[in-house]
Parts: sequence; structure tokens; C-alpha cells
Amino acid sequence: MTMPQLYNYDLDENCYRVRLVAACIGLPLDLHGVDAFPGREHQSAPMLALNPLGRLPILRDGDLVLTQPEAILLHLAERHDPQRRFVTDDPVRRARMMEWLIFAARDLSMAVAARTTSMLGEPGDTDALRAGARRCLRIMDDHMTRQSLAGSDFFVGPEATLADLALFPAFALSRDFNVDHDEFPALRLWARRLRSLPGFITMPGLPDYH
Amino acid sequence: MQKGWYPLALSHAIAAGTSAGTVLHGQEIVVWRDSSGGAHTWEDRCPHRGMKMSFGFVRGDHIACLYHGWEYDQGGQCRYIPAHPKLEVPKTICVKTYPAAEAAGMIWVWMPVGMPVEGGPAEQEATGVRSLYLDRALDEVEPHLSAGFGASEAAREDGVIRLVTDLGPLRIGLQPVSADRCALHITLAGTAEPGTLVAVAARAEAFRRRVESATLLAAE
Ligand code: FES
Repeated sequence: MTMPQLYNYDLDENCYRVRLVAACIGLPLDLHGVDAFPGREHQSAPMLALNPLGRLPILRDGDLVLTQPEAILLHLAERHDPQRRFVTDDPVRRARMMEWLIFAARDLSMAVAARTTSMLGEPGDTDALRAGARRCLRIMDDHMTRQSLAGSDFFVGPEATLADLALFPAFALSRDFNVDHDEFPALRLWARRLRSLPGFITMPGLPDYH
Repeated sequence: MQKGWYPLALSHAIAAGTSAGTVLHGQEIVVWRDSSGGAHTWEDRCPHRGMKMSFGFVRGDHIACLYHGWEYDQGGQCRYIPAHPKLEVPKTICVKTYPAAEAAGMIWVWMPVGMPVEGGPAEQEATGVRSLYLDRALDEVEPHLSAGFGASEAAREDGVIRLVTDLGPLRIGLQPVSADRCALHITLAGTAEPGTLVAVAARAEAFRRRVESATLLAAE
């Protein structure tokens, strides 16, 4: 099997999600650098041919081209990790995992947008996005509070799943859009546990400690 | 600010070797725990260029600033400047430290700054449930605590409200954050089953929904 190729921009948190999952399953990726800022190369004609939405990441794995981050994560974790460490076949756990993956895709898009408007000057109502992102982080903190009290260290159960890896960047990067970690004690403890997973990597802008 | 001990965090929420920022009456404070477990409460500001110390990281008995890596010992004294590794750091470079204490499942700070410490916060065997951050002033929240947590009895002590509830005796640390925010550090006296802890946490979430919704509050 040839190495999956990731069209990657280092500062894009969705690209980071993909690199993070690949690192945690020990899968080397063939990184193809895309000059998203300031070059806007992800919206160039050759890139639009791969992803007409003009977004990153894009994963090419043989004939398969994927452009939705959570679909990419699931594909890597199911096809490229023989141990299937971050997915589960238990239907209830899998439903819970999908619930949080879709939360990461849909609801946390506010956090992604809050960050790109604050940091990269993309258009958007920063205050409204920040408020929405903070509400999402509260929901996550409430959930992890209850999980920890019930004796589970991660979002779906006692072991880390794709859900945790998909949710991590929005919390870890929230200071980029001026939401501090003060009010999310359960997420602080959870993030620390995630950081100690074998293979864990950071991205530029995320300090490499804890 | 009235002099006294103010709770800033639940003990279990600050793991050894970690730090977190918080605010008390508008003052930014870093709460951190060294690798041997000692809790510290300092001004959340690096004397070098003013970076928040809570963004930094703990290395053994030192806390290091994220910006240029200056390291401070448990007394707040700067001990190491990476750009000048051979330098004997001048004694004048230190972070402002505030008296800290740990009791009843919470980490406390003595305030206001400079006031001599009198006694310590009350001891009590307690299990930490959760900290609840509210977009409301403590004064606004306090009158609703008893009903909100379903208490049959309530008693106010220094920095704490005690509630007798069907889920057990709650002891809630009261942290005035700013003119429009506060934090409640919720503990159960003694030990408790996970199911009870989760039930208290759920009640806390319901309380937050109620207290942050203006219409619901007005109806009470
Ligand atoms: S601001 Fe803290 S080391 Fe420079």
C-alpha cells in the first residue's frame, strides 16, 4: 500500500486533526504542502479539481479522494490501524463516538471560524463566533465532568477514541480566539491525558508540554 | 474586598505539575501545583514582559513562562533566564506571591494583597464535584443557591455556603470573579458514590441554566 497523501497547511486545525490521528496510529503520511496563507493555493484551479469546496485538508489514498475531515479520520483509523485503537465496533459506543465526531464537524466549526477570523483576518462576526465556540466548550466540559465523575477518562469511555482526537484542537487552540482555559477544568485534565497518548503531536502555536 | 480566604479551584482540578489561570474580584491569579504537590497562588503576570504565568508550564519545582522561558521557584524568585544561562539572576526579579492554602477539597488564596494572614480556611473531609462558572455576579447568584440545589437548610460561612440536600451535605466555595461573573466550587462533605456525584453535577448544570436565564430568575 502506498502512503496516503495529505494536502496540508500546517496552521490549519483540520489538517492538524488528520496529522494527529495519523501520528497516534503510527501511520506516516506523504505531506504535500499547500500555501493556503497568504497564497490561497487551496483555491487554485488544480486544488479545486480535487476539492471543489476549496478547503483543506484533502486526503488521497490510492484512488480514494476524501475532503471531509471526520471522514478522513475515520478512514485512517479503520483502514490504516490494524489494531483499530481509536474506533469501536460496539454499536452504542460507536453511536456516541459519531455523535461527538459530528459535534466536532458541525458545532465546533464555530471555533474554527472564530480562530480564522481572529488570527488570519477572514471575514466573520468574531464576537458571535467566540460566544458560540465558548458555548460548545462548556458543553464539552460538562460532559467530561460527568464522564470523570463516573470513572471514564475520555469522551466515549475509558479509552481514547477518534472523538477525543477530533475534539482536542478546538479546545487546545481556543486562546487564539481569546477564550481562555480557566473555565474548563475537566477539559484541562482531559487534554493532559490526551497529550500523554503514544504518538501524540502538537502543531505550530500549540506549546509542546503537559 | 473583604479580608479573608477565597476559594479559587477544586483541589483535584489542579494536577501536580500543572497551572491554571483564574480571576478574583478582577485580579488575575495563577494557581499552580509543583511536582511535589504544593499549591501556589500568584499574580498571573510574568515580571519580564507581562505574559500570563498561567500560559506557562511547570518543570519540577519551578514554573516557566511560555514567552521567553524565565523560570521561577516556589517563592516566586526568578532562578533561570534561558537567554543568559550563566547569569546569577538578580533577587529583584520575582513574581508577586499571595498566601495559599489547601483545605476541604479546595485551593484558597488570602486577600486582599498585603493584608497579614489570620488563621486558615476551615478543614472538612470533602469530595470535589465540579466548579461551575456563571456569567452572573455572586451577589445575584447567592440568594438562589438554596432553592437551586434543593436544600432544606442553608448556612453561610467564610467563603462557603453549606447546604443540606437530598443528595447529601454540599459545601460550595464562593468565588467572586468580577462584576458580572462568579464561580462555585462544589463539594460533597465526606465521600460519595459516583452516581451521587453525577447527580450533583447535573443539578449544578440545571442551576446554571436557571441563573443565567434572566426570565427564569425574575420569575422566582
Ligand atoms: S514575558 Fe515571561 S519570560 Fe519574557
